[in-house]
Amino acid sequence: MKAQRLEEIRPRIQALEAMPAVPAIVLPLTAMLHSPDQVDVEKVIDLVSYDGTIAAHCLRMANSPLFGRRNTETVRSAVFALGLKRIEAILLGCCLNRIVPPDKWALDAVTFWRHSLGCALVSRKMAKLIGYPDPEKAYLAGLLHDLGILVNIIACSEDYPRCIQAAREAHVALHRGEEEHLGFTHCQSGKILAEQWHFSSDVIEVIEFHHDVAAVPTCGPLVSLVHLSDLLCRLRDLGYGYYEAMGMDLAGDAAWATLVGHYPALATMDLARFTMDIDGAMEEIVAVVDAVFKP
Amino acid sequence: MADLASAKSAKSKTESGAEDLRDPAYLKIRDMIYQISGIYQSEEKLYLLASRCARRMSAVHAKTPAEYLEHLTVRGNREAELRLLLNEITIGETYMFRSPPQLEALRSVILPQILKAKSAMGFKRLHLWSAGCSTGEEPYTLAMFLLEESEKMLAGWTFDILATDLNDNSLAAAKAGIYGEYALRSTSEALRRKYFKPHDEKRLQAGEQLKSLIRFERVNLNDDSKMTFLKGMDIIFCCNVLIYFDLGSKRKVMQHFYSNLLPGGYMFMGHAESLYQVDDRFHLVHFPGAIGYWKPPVGYTGGGKP
Ligand SMILES: C[S@@+](CC[C@H](N)C(=O)[O-])C[C@H]1O[C@@H](n2cnc3c(N)ncnc32)[C@H](O)[C@@H]1O
Ligand SMILES: [Fe+2]
Ligand SMILES: [Fe+2]
Repeated sequence: MKAQRLEEIRPRIQALEAMPAVPAIVLPLTAMLHSPDQVDVEKVIDLVSYDGTIAAHCLRMANSPLFGRRNTETVRSAVFALGLKRIEAILLGCCLNRIVPPDKWALDAVTFWRHSLGCALVSRKMAKLIGYPDPEKAYLAGLLHDLGILVNIIACSEDYPRCIQAAREAHVALHRGEEEHLGFTHCQSGKILAEQWHFSSDVIEVIEFHHDVAAVPTCGPLVSLVHLSDLLCRLRDLGYGYYEAMGMDLAGDAAWATLVGHYPALATMDLARFTMDIDGAMEEIVAVVDAVFKP
Repeated sequence: MADLASAKSAKSKTESGAEDLRDPAYLKIRDMIYQISGIYQSEEKLYLLASRCARRMSAVHAKTPAEYLEHLTVRGNREAELRLLLNEITIGETYMFRSPPQLEALRSVILPQILKAKSAMGFKRLHLWSAGCSTGEEPYTLAMFLLEESEKMLAGWTFDILATDLNDNSLAAAKAGIYGEYALRSTSEALRRKYFKPHDEKRLQAGEQLKSLIRFERVNLNDDSKMTFLKGMDIIFCCNVLIYFDLGSKRKVMQHFYSNLLPGGYMFMGHAESLYQVDDRFHLVHFPGAIGYWKPPVGYTGGGKP
């Protein structure tokens, strides 16, 4: 029955691509991200400048304490200050933001983006702490991990408020509410869209399995990283805007075990130290995220 | 103890004089205090110690630190004097409902988990411990919290709270249970009315219902012989106490706490404290706004989330 329900909305997800604002920017961007050739910086600058909101967002990010609080006033200098990988992550974030029409946000838009940005930042921080080689990729994966929530907000707009309500009342994770009222979760629907948009396979894996690391056949470090960051954000007031009754035992988490598998040095890591570092970073990140979202 | 540099210290600093601080007697006193209580005052913090000694010095009419050191070492009443000095040194800042996220973690995750495990074994009693309770705000808070739950999730359960401190004066105040607006600033009107009775115009006193749940006792956390016997705890609160301990004595206390806890039990520390390098047998469990230190049950191999 569950599978049927997902099949039912598949065409609706596929139809998302036909929305005017989305593919125009997303597809060339993801293409660029994976392009084997030199990325054309001028093109990126054009893309960014083309769109007032995105340009403003890039400037705000470039000038935030997060990226060293430069006094950047032009799109061009913002692009150079932030670096291409970050610009692309920001652009993607903005584009995704647009796929939800303003009147459809069943979950408060700011709440959602605080969570996504928070998760991106924590993922990057954690990546650096454990020695994952591509922190910017971790950032991107963190930013996009809940793509499916956007999909569900649009494709299941009638049922989605009920998912949120149920999860909020039971103080459980959002995907539990989705299971109950949709029969599938944002992990499954997010995967469909991510494949359609040709995201890289490890980012797709993150989107599909970030709530169930144990289910990944050959679990890469990226999923585990984002899974833990997601939990940490939800525990530190960067969640879905309601209180979740939960605890997170790093040492006992399957995702941690996976990371230890990939980075044996973690086995002897002082977890209290690690927790302290992450916790210290969390405070900063919450402040930064709030700064970014202040009007 | 949160702020040793209280109003008095400004005065005492001038009394004791700057050159006094280099008096080797202070270093000896510092070392004695460390030996006994685990509280370590670094060289830069010696002026705090001096200011605390100043009061005792004038009480016993000691003119120099060296003379006061004699009172602590060779005089007949040295044990009593040491205790009086410790009462000066360990003055604690505290108030009721200081850490709501800890209580929320208790309510939503920890208690359900512990109750489930204990009732599976046929137990229906909970033991909490407020270690370093100062003037009692923390244990009274816990008592209110448990009583509020006693008609809900704790229906059919009994519970008790052990509240300990090193400071006799603080303990006496805790037993009396008389509090003003400062201590009660985060306590709701409803809880005040339910659990306190008026004492005088400005203060309230904890009622019998609260007091009957709490056992106050003088326990020095640095005293191995006492610590060894406080077994069977479900949850230990040791908040804002170990901040003045050095790593070695902190580590020792944490080892005791670990064995004082029942398997599956939790320990909490203050908001800004960390077990960093202290005892890695504890699992650090993150809760919204709080970190708990968990003693995993026997045979725990990860996977099942707390
Ligand atoms: C700041 S108060 C903490 C009060 C309360 N736990 C809270 O968090 O609000 C610190 C208390 O720790 C006590 N303390 C310090 N060293 C101690 C020791 N070695 N044994 C027992 N108590 C100690 C002090 O007497 C003081 O009352
Ligand atoms: Fe998610
Ligand atoms: Fe998430």
